[in-house]
Amino acid sequence: MSKTILTVDDSRTMRDMLAMALNDAGFNVVQAVDGEDGLAVLDAHSADVDVIITDINMPKLDGFGFIEGVRKDSRHRTTPILVLTTESDGSKKDRARQAGATGWIVKPFNPVKLIDAIRRVAA
Amino acid sequence: MDPLAAIRDTFFQECEEQLAELESGLLAIEEGDHDPERINAVFRAVHSIKGGAGAFGLEALVRFAHVFETALDEMRSGGLAPEDHVLKEMLRAADLLADHVAAARGGPEVDMARSTLLAAELAALTGAPLPGEDDGEDFDIPFEVVGFNGPDLGLPDLSDFGGGGLPDLPDLGGGDAPDINALLQLADDVDGGPNTFVIRMKPTRALYGHGNETALLLRELRRLGETRITMDAAILPALDALDPAEGYAAWTVELTTSEGEDAVREVFEFVDGHCELDIRPAGDGEPVAETAPEAPVLEAVMPQPVASEGDVDVAALIRQAQAAVQDLLGNEPAKAAQPGTAAPALVAAPGRPAAPATAVSAPAATIRVDLERVDRLIDLVGELVINQAVLAQRAAESGLARQTDVAMGLDDLEQLTREIQDSVMAIRAQPVKSVFQRMPRLVREVAAAVGKDVRLVTEGENTEVDKTVIEKLSDPITHMIRNAIDHGLESAEKRVAAGKSAEGQVKLAAFHRSGRIVIEVSDDGAGINRPRVRDIAASKGLIDAAAQLSDEEIDNLIFLPGFSTASAVSDISGRGVGMDVVKRSIIALGGRISINSTPGKGSVFTMSLPLTLAVLDGMVVSAGGQTLIAPLSTIIETLQPKASEVKPIGPAAWLMSIRDSFVPLIDVGLALGYRTEPVDPANCVALLVEEGATRAALLVDAIQGQRQVVIKSLEANYRHVVGIAAATILGDGRVALILDVDAIITRRTVDTVPASFAA
Repeated sequence: MSKTILTVDDSRTMRDMLAMALNDAGFNVVQAVDGEDGLAVLDAHSADVDVIITDINMPKLDGFGFIEGVRKDSRHRTTPILVLTTESDGSKKDRARQAGATGWIVKPFNPVKLIDAIRRVAA
Repeated sequence: MDPLAAIRDTFFQECEEQLAELESGLLAIEEGDHDPERINAVFRAVHSIKGGAGAFGLEALVRFAHVFETALDEMRSGGLAPEDHVLKEMLRAADLLADHVAAARGGPEVDMARSTLLAAELAALTGAPLPGEDDGEDFDIPFEVVGFNGPDLGLPDLSDFGGGGLPDLPDLGGGDAPDINALLQLADDVDGGPNTFVIRMKPTRALYGHGNETALLLRELRRLGETRITMDAAILPALDALDPAEGYAAWTVELTTSEGEDAVREVFEFVDGHCELDIRPAGDGEPVAETAPEAPVLEAVMPQPVASEGDVDVAALIRQAQAAVQDLLGNEPAKAAQPGTAAPALVAAPGRPAAPATAVSAPAATIRVDLERVDRLIDLVGELVINQAVLAQRAAESGLARQTDVAMGLDDLEQLTREIQDSVMAIRAQPVKSVFQRMPRLVREVAAAVGKDVRLVTEGENTEVDKTVIEKLSDPITHMIRNAIDHGLESAEKRVAAGKSAEGQVKLAAFHRSGRIVIEVSDDGAGINRPRVRDIAASKGLIDAAAQLSDEEIDNLIFLPGFSTASAVSDISGRGVGMDVVKRSIIALGGRISINSTPGKGSVFTMSLPLTLAVLDGMVVSAGGQTLIAPLSTIIETLQPKASEVKPIGPAAWLMSIRDSFVPLIDVGLALGYRTEPVDPANCVALLVEEGATRAALLVDAIQGQRQVVIKSLEANYRHVVGIAAATILGDGRVALILDVDAIITRRTVDTVPASFAA
């Protein structure tokens, strides 16, 4: 059965690109537009979401806040979460990890590396 | 459509939205709103644009956006204060960013000199270094050789040398220092053969807590080459003492791979700090522990589950778990599930442009719809209206009594059709905001070009109008604003001398009035210089030097073709684009424009336009045996001329006296070539019409009625005909032409009867 990935990003372009790459690789995709929406969507589709991919800079609730929120949910304490970061920002990666992120994907993302990263964190 | 192309379109659409957010955000900050969320929002706008641009490889855009983003990042972290000069710089940067986006989209090239200069200024604000020209995405990282943990090259260990010179290395390109590149080349060559590493890892609680899994790490290692894995379960407690979130096992992996150590370290990239990790080349230190054959590794070292009364199920569970883990390690790297698997309703369809998509976060219920579909719907509804009219007409002609069911049903149908038409037109109605949004930048540029300080105030940007009208508003509004700043507003010195503020104000307002949309452009400048305008008009032969003109008439002289007050052709307004062009484009839309000016105080230009270009309220008339439509908006009143009121002033020109003034009387049938002989006005009807400040009386044979008609383009179906604006289909199926009243009044040459409009 194919996996479902929740993508959280305030940029429509990025959401579309992720959806295209993920669908091509056979994943189902659920989308959210910011951290707050992400928690709501996660709550609604909790049983289905296998992996989460989230951006950092978003309105309402940013990536860090979102990840912390996810980890507080007992159903998703160990659900793999990948953050989208720009290469040059090591401090963001660290902060994301502190919040509970599993790994990261560098933007702009290479579809092959994207699928690689997912494979590394999800069975 | 290629899905990537669809996403590219989405990206550029999103850029427009982000650029708008950026500008309004910066303006708000400039006004004094220093709310962190506001600053965050402008940062995100640029960050988003940069992100998407990177994905599409739009290098110049990425480079500029990066410098801009860095400055905004500084501002949001408090390192750069939002002072006035900083905000002005950023507004300029926002304008240039928009230029970069436009260029990336295939538009005009960016002024690179300006871009480089602005980038340097932005960088100076933050003290950040500028990215170099050929950096691309990755900025240069200084390269240091800190050590050389690689397979044994057979070279002497460099760290053995405390002082003194380097040993005789194999020829690496000469010179005293080793050539790094040659060294690496050697290393690469050696990498071609298999390397063996011994990896020891012990996951901690944190590893699992972050969603990582040992099994997946082991699987990744197995993808690099041959592995022998052993688990040290020394501290693994009994099941009832086991905390599933804790890490107990330690793993040793002997890996033979053609990859280098970097590839091995990369496997553990995500768990750095979350597990104890030791990676070293084999043969380097401790002997590798003897291991049992691979597959049953776990069984061999896993403590046997204690089978007791209540534990039977538990034992089975553990065996299942073991099997599952082995499955994971023993399988080929998981292939992705077959594409095209039936997707549940939650799937978001990627990049299908024609499909309407629901906004995920829909608090306001809106949907995105392809414009083509809306246009098609409007066309169909237009046909529906015509059809319904034809039907009603036929029914009436066939003698159907008004009280019959069919007749009443047709009345209901007419009512319903009108409602559908109104609703459908409303779909395409958009707020003028999209046009107004471009104006602040225009004001900045024009003001800068003429060296004036100008403030733009807008009102009513949510006023709605049909999409067909919106797009055509931009040019007239642009010209009027340029005109206001260039000619309307005085220089700062003159203003101060006149007791006004040095900063001039231009106001742009939109509102509905009597079923039309009104757009006003006003300025608080010096008003129309009437004596000067008079003189210029006279010198250009547009008016008779001795003519007596009212203030209003003088003001309206600026709309005459050939009139331009720009004595020095200033780059902006005087480029042959005078108010006459503005007026013509508005009239072409079925609109009107007028001016109201007070010397010393300022001027107000008022444009009124129909709410839609698709339907028209018209008066159906006949002239020369033809059925024509005169737009109701142009008609002031209808009159029955008396012979005494009509005065000929030439072979084919008349004046009609209406109350106390004279207006030209135009024989429409003659003017359009339907007749060659004039008729007796006493047998006709005159329509008193007005366009702007010009009045005339149109002589027609008879009035047939009033109706709302669907406008059909004549140009699209035939060609442009002077004096005719468009066409429509009447209830009886006949084609009726819609008059271009302005053209008729201003006496432009008509194809077939030039004599009627001789110079």
